[in-house]
Amino acid sequence: MKIINLEKNMGSFQLKIDHLDIEPGKVHGLVGHNGCGKTILLKTIIGILTPDSGTIDMEGLEKSKMTMMMQRPYLLHDSVYENVIYPLKIRKIPVDEAKVDAMLEKVGLLAQKNQYARSLSSGERQKLSFLRAVIFGPEFVIMDETLSNMDPESERTIISLIKEIQQTRPITWLIVNHQLEQKKDLCDVIHYMEKGRIVNETA
Amino acid sequence: MRRKGTVMENIVIWFKECFTDEAILSAIGVTFKMAVFSCLISSVLGITFGLLLERYDFRGKKLIVRINRTLMGMPPVVAGLVVYLLLMRRGPLGMLGWLFTIKGMIVAQTLIITPIMTGMIHQHAVSKVPAIREFCMTMGADRRQTIWTVLKEMCHDIYFCMVTAFGRSISEVGSVMLVGGNIKGHTRTMTTAISLLKSQGIFTEGIALGLVLLVMAFIIQWLCDFLQKEESADENY
Repeated sequence: MKIINLEKNMGSFQLKIDHLDIEPGKVHGLVGHNGCGKTILLKTIIGILTPDSGTIDMEGLEKSKMTMMMQRPYLLHDSVYENVIYPLKIRKIPVDEAKVDAMLEKVGLLAQKNQYARSLSSGERQKLSFLRAVIFGPEFVIMDETLSNMDPESERTIISLIKEIQQTRPITWLIVNHQLEQKKDLCDVIHYMEKGRIVNETA
Repeated sequence: MRRKGTVMENIVIWFKECFTDEAILSAIGVTFKMAVFSCLISSVLGITFGLLLERYDFRGKKLIVRINRTLMGMPPVVAGLVVYLLLMRRGPLGMLGWLFTIKGMIVAQTLIITPIMTGMIHQHAVSKVPAIREFCMTMGADRRQTIWTVLKEMCHDIYFCMVTAFGRSISEVGSVMLVGGNIKGHTRTMTTAISLLKSQGIFTEGIALGLVLLVMAFIIQWLCDFLQKEESADENY
């Protein structure tokens, strides 16, 4: 994915990305202070916001193969299980309950399978959001502060799952996190943002 | 004969007498028929208008919202008068022959309830739908799936609004009196019957009907409470 001369004005704030290259199959980190425009950039990439100018070249990537985990994930008024299988239902992919159970077990949510999703803690909500994002086999996953609300153990579980996915079927990740610099082994590339602009990039 | 029994027996006999009276049963039936139909029609209209108002930005939207808010507080007698003028024999819709019929009463009730439904649905939608829509977009849902998810996610709010609208409909007097004409066994509702019975000095049947209305109001209130409890379960522990 190539982002060229992207501009988005949000009141007094201006997002201005001259060039951002997101290589397929790599884990990209996005770091920046609060209010530097990370979420606006992510929402523009996924299509929630429309850019004022510039281009986002998907390079053949289908919208249905993209997904985004929000900072505060929206949970359906339903069970944990129904929330997880939602992306499968809308894509008319047959649901393999055993596979779903195995994934729920991996993140430690199997015991809460039939529980009302909105009664989960914030860390558990993020884990549910992660499962929901990866269950349908996406090619591009955006994570907006997903790791931030997790306890260290849950964070390790999610990171190991990302690595597992990358080993079996590499997909593209764009991960926003404040402590990404401490997790350099997770990311292939880290992009630094400041005041609505990409200011640096380290491999 | 009644005086010989216990108080409880007398109350039971009194209720039996009231609820075997054809006029009372008819009033209950007419009230339900009118409330159910007007509530259903205004729900379809209110949900559609409320969600459309949330979804689209256009010139004059604020004015429309304000007008709707004004109509939410419209006195029922005014709505009744408007419908009466429309349905009267020389009126623009006189050929329908709906004046002094349940159909006419349903039209009047729909006119009163639709702005209430629209306003309430719009209010709920403004606070909830943007997050649902964003979620659907991130999940890759198409337009139809998004609409379905929005309706499913808002079903508690929609029930709540419908219950409120139903409550408003069964308790209305002014417009149904004007449009329905309070014809015994035909367009007489519980509220218009109570009003008439009081003016005739017949309090027993009036109180019986009042009790039925109160029971209905209690059930509606209980439903609202139940739905609100469901919503408050949405907590972050």
